[in-house]
Amino acid sequence: MMARLPLTHPLHLVIGMILWSLWFVAFYGGLSVACAVAPPDPLQGAFTAINAGLALLTLATVGLLAWLAWRAWQAARAARGRARYLARLSAGLYIFAAIGALYMGLPVVALSPCV
Amino acid sequence: MSETSTPRRDPEELHRTLDEVWANPRGFRALTVVNHTTLGLRFMITGLVFFLIGGVLAMLIRAQLALPDQDFLSPDLYNQVMTMHGTVMMFLFAIPMLEGLAIYMVPKMIGARDLVCPRLTAFGYFCYLFGGIIIISSLLLEIAPESGWFLYTPLSSSEFSPGPGSDFWLLGVTFVEISAMAAGVELVVGILRTRTQGMSLTRMPLFVWYILVMAFMIVMGFPPLILASILLELERAVGMPFFVVEAGGDPVLWQHLFWLFGHPDVYIIFLPAAGIVSTLIPVFAGRPIVGYSWVVAAVILTGFVSFGLWVHHMFTVGIPQLAQTFFSAASMLVAIPTAIQIFAWLATLWLGKPRMTLPMLWILGFLIIFVIGGLTGVMLALVPFNWQVHDTHFVVAHLHYVVVGGMLFPLVAGAYYWMPLLSGRLPSERLGRWGFWLTFLGFNLTFLVMHWTGLLGMPRRVYTYDTTMGWDLFNLISSVGGFILSVGIAMVIVDFALHFRFGRRSPRNPWHADTLEWANTMPPTNYNLVSLPAVHSRHPLWDDPDLPRSTSAGEHGLAGTTFGRREMWGSDPLTGQVREVVHVPTNSWWPVSAAAALAVVCVSLLARVYVVAGLATLVAVVVLLYWSWENGAHPRASASDEVAPGDPPLHSRTLDGPGRWGMGIGLLANGALFLSLLFGWFYLWTVSPQWQMPDASPLSLPLLLAGGVVLTAAALWLERLVRGLRRGHDRGLAFGLYGTAALGALQLVLLVVLLRQAELAPTASAHDAVVTVALIYGLIHSGLATVLVLLQGRRVGYGYVSARLPYEPLVVVQLWRYHLGVYWVLVAAFWLLPTLMGGSA
Repeated sequence: MMARLPLTHPLHLVIGMILWSLWFVAFYGGLSVACAVAPPDPLQGAFTAINAGLALLTLATVGLLAWLAWRAWQAARAARGRARYLARLSAGLYIFAAIGALYMGLPVVALSPCV
Repeated sequence: MSETSTPRRDPEELHRTLDEVWANPRGFRALTVVNHTTLGLRFMITGLVFFLIGGVLAMLIRAQLALPDQDFLSPDLYNQVMTMHGTVMMFLFAIPMLEGLAIYMVPKMIGARDLVCPRLTAFGYFCYLFGGIIIISSLLLEIAPESGWFLYTPLSSSEFSPGPGSDFWLLGVTFVEISAMAAGVELVVGILRTRTQGMSLTRMPLFVWYILVMAFMIVMGFPPLILASILLELERAVGMPFFVVEAGGDPVLWQHLFWLFGHPDVYIIFLPAAGIVSTLIPVFAGRPIVGYSWVVAAVILTGFVSFGLWVHHMFTVGIPQLAQTFFSAASMLVAIPTAIQIFAWLATLWLGKPRMTLPMLWILGFLIIFVIGGLTGVMLALVPFNWQVHDTHFVVAHLHYVVVGGMLFPLVAGAYYWMPLLSGRLPSERLGRWGFWLTFLGFNLTFLVMHWTGLLGMPRRVYTYDTTMGWDLFNLISSVGGFILSVGIAMVIVDFALHFRFGRRSPRNPWHADTLEWANTMPPTNYNLVSLPAVHSRHPLWDDPDLPRSTSAGEHGLAGTTFGRREMWGSDPLTGQVREVVHVPTNSWWPVSAAAALAVVCVSLLARVYVVAGLATLVAVVVLLYWSWENGAHPRASASDEVAPGDPPLHSRTLDGPGRWGMGIGLLANGALFLSLLFGWFYLWTVSPQWQMPDASPLSLPLLLAGGVVLTAAALWLERLVRGLRRGHDRGLAFGLYGTAALGALQLVLLVVLLRQAELAPTASAHDAVVTVALIYGLIHSGLATVLVLLQGRRVGYGYVSARLPYEPLVVVQLWRYHLGVYWVLVAAFWLLPTLMGGSA
């Protein structure tokens, strides 16, 4: 895929936040469906399968975004002119998307999911 | 591609020939005007009228609340006034005004002569005008909506709002939103595909970046509300119970759909205004903006993150705490891109040599007010605080700091900045400064104090209060402030009005700006520039201050007009390299006719005269199809292939004209509508307390599969024809297109049979109601795809489509791909998943 869509391509300006959006939908949608189908005992607190699943989803997303940010940064160092500009900007946007997902996902370590 | 593509001609002759082709007719035929300059102005003037109406309503509210226990307005009238103030300001002023500014300014900034779909601009304007008139008429008849500007169910449902007020809102606002969608689509395509030679994405003016993101947000953000409005109107008109708990619906679904639109809408309003700020600050600081890339990144981030905050308007409806924290975090996250922009502006001012002109005064006012609004926004993002002040005047104060500070102040700054371009004259500095200070002080007096009123517990939307509550003084101060604010705004308007006659003559480019719009004559012509210059940096006018003269003298590309067409460059979306000559339509009756037919639909739905509504819909469809007929190689578009020596081909003779992009962006909007419908389906399924999923799906699997197979076969056939056109051959093209249309018609019939056989009871259960809407959605697409491909077959016969003219089937095939994808998703969501999961009570 990277060969078809090098990290200097302008689409990478939005791919990071599109991935963030997909994570967002999966997180909120998954939480809502899980709570409707199998709400855990509130006394379990944050130690539930739902929290674990959401945490894993978040970590995987953050990992992917961080990796893409790193790759975009590397691509920027190798490129020149407009390509360099686009890759560097994409790297910044990937980093923001990763931090955003991590920050928004953090409450899963502390809160009961369905209360 | 040489920059000067036509032989040098006398500049006067160039002007004359362009004037002939781009002229606006007068008198009754002024209704046919399509060019962006005139329509942008019409949008803004109409927006100003609605702003004044909204302002008068605000004064009525403040007059009523100035003292306790007043009966200046009755409770019923107060509710109407309060609802209409919000509705008018948000839907009839803020959004259309900024769209108007974008429609007026963007082509001038990117070196184009018009937007790519000028008839769509005109259509959008008339939808806005007619929709606005319909909404306002309800107020004159004293039957206006009265359940608040976000029209929450069940208050707005038939049970609690039996009058026609909610219908006026639902139909009128939806009508106006068609206008916003039209502007959104064509701004995206215009920006991506018609920038002048050399204006790569990285050289694009920041204002255009902001508008690009705003336009994408309109395309994605408005469909949820359009869907919600359709559903609520269906509930009110025919009793389909989407929001009725006992029948399996849920009123909270309305809140989700409304705020899925509503929160991005705040940023749809803010971004263009911030674009004005990012344009003005570098000009008045006399240096390029600090951190162009950071600002671009911030704008893109805002575009995405603002879609992830909607639930913070619903913290009190009983959502699990984890989800609330999730949205609370998202709400704080959006402060980061906003802060990036503020620091970029401050750094630019710090490093430059700011000139304290009148526009800059309004920018400083913006910075102060918007930062305060942003900070109370962060406070409201905190769930416990939000619970405390929910539905109080604190929220009212916050939202006014954000929208007035974030939109009105930059808008006035922009108006002062661009007014000389529009009129060739300069407004009065003294009157303008009085206007600013009165507005600024009046605003803060009204709304800063309102934070305290809210913290003391005064709820919003109450028509009066008791003196024992201790809110008297604060309300009185707010009311006095409100009237001072009005005087300030009145002064600004008087200043603008007077300057057309008494203002000093302005020199060309009076602010020493860097962007291309200032290369225009003052006021600009209908075609903007006589010749289209190549740009080599982000600051074309700083690089070459002689551009106003050289463009007028015809020393650049596409000078004048040789073939009697309205022409401009079509360029590569990334690099800005010119690759086509785009020819755009001239003045036309179709847009106003289509909008008028839709207005009749709207009014007849309000009057519940469904036969007339049906007939008018038919008329609208026929008009729109006639409109689509006059395209491409049609004699009224461009019968000849001829271009000047050295110029690229006409867009309608290529494989990738702006129309393809227009269809793509339109389908993005359509997809957002479809996703909203899916959201509604899954939301009701999982959350609605009384939802009834039948044990077996009412939809016949054999019919669903038969429809899918026929559709897939038709779509594949069309793909094959398109592949042939791409390779340059058109053997059997007409037969293939007719064949595809026949299969499309067969699928349409199968869907009708499916709908009839399902024996749904859409007025008895929310389940059946949603399934009905989904099937009708499929039916409409089936019909549209069939008719369009049928027309393509006819156009082959007329010689408008062929191997030499392969463009149009490439546009239509996108609709077929979309329809195919959506159909199978419908099958999966409405048959497969319910069957796999089984029925549930």
